[in-house]
Amino acid sequence: MKLKKTNEGYFKLVASYRKEVGGWAWIIHRISGIALTAYLYVHIYALSTLTKGKEAFDAEMALFQTPIFKLLEWILFAFVLAHTLNGIRIVLVDFGKGAYYHKKAFAYLTAIGVIAFLVMGYFIFSKEINYLFAGLI
Amino acid sequence: MSFRYYGSRKSGSIGWLLQRITGIFLIFAMVGHYILMHYTPEAGHSYDQSVARLSNVYWKMFYLTFITLGLWHGLNGVWSILRDFKMKHWVAVTLYGVIIVSGIAFWVLGVTTALKF
Repeated sequence: MKLKKTNEGYFKLVASYRKEVGGWAWIIHRISGIALTAYLYVHIYALSTLTKGKEAFDAEMALFQTPIFKLLEWILFAFVLAHTLNGIRIVLVDFGKGAYYHKKAFAYLTAIGVIAFLVMGYFIFSKEINYLFAGLI
Repeated sequence: MSFRYYGSRKSGSIGWLLQRITGIFLIFAMVGHYILMHYTPEAGHSYDQSVARLSNVYWKMFYLTFITLGLWHGLNGVWSILRDFKMKHWVAVTLYGVIIVSGIAFWVLGVTTALKF
């Protein structure tokens, strides 16, 4: 089979579709998936410092406790949440009867995701939050 | 793997199924991973605690499975995205090669780290 050449580029084609929630979920799933795979490489590389001994590893962990890395970790959690929750939706569509309620599932999972994101924000920044509001409580 | 006609000769159905199976595993593993690492931010991040976990045979098995399935799920996902493009033959071979070589390299790096303790 010879693929026929078209003048339309892939991105232009995808952008031209009228998207419902499923289309947006598909795009978010791909972007977050690529980002998480890239992060997994960084994660494995960063943790390989374990083999270099206690001092090197604890120094690295101290770096990851700085506010900028905490913020990056929080953003990472948004990608993890988007990919995990939409992954549940995909499994329901493919293996269950999700095709009948996938839009509703998207709405509920988005609500769960937003709540989980905020709760995680509290856990990650609990020290800073307690410090900020120490005078008020 | 036939690159020229991979769309027609290989349906990718096994990859599709394994992507879902590994994905379901990763949902549970990730929830556990996040509870362990973030519920009490001070617990679990130090060298001593990490080495203690990796010295335990069950934790070690868990992390080896986590690394393997996580990498496979991620790289199979990247390849399935790339398959949507009309890649020229040499582009497909090159990108597939980059995925395989970098995947094996980082798998070895992760596994040797976990097996050292």
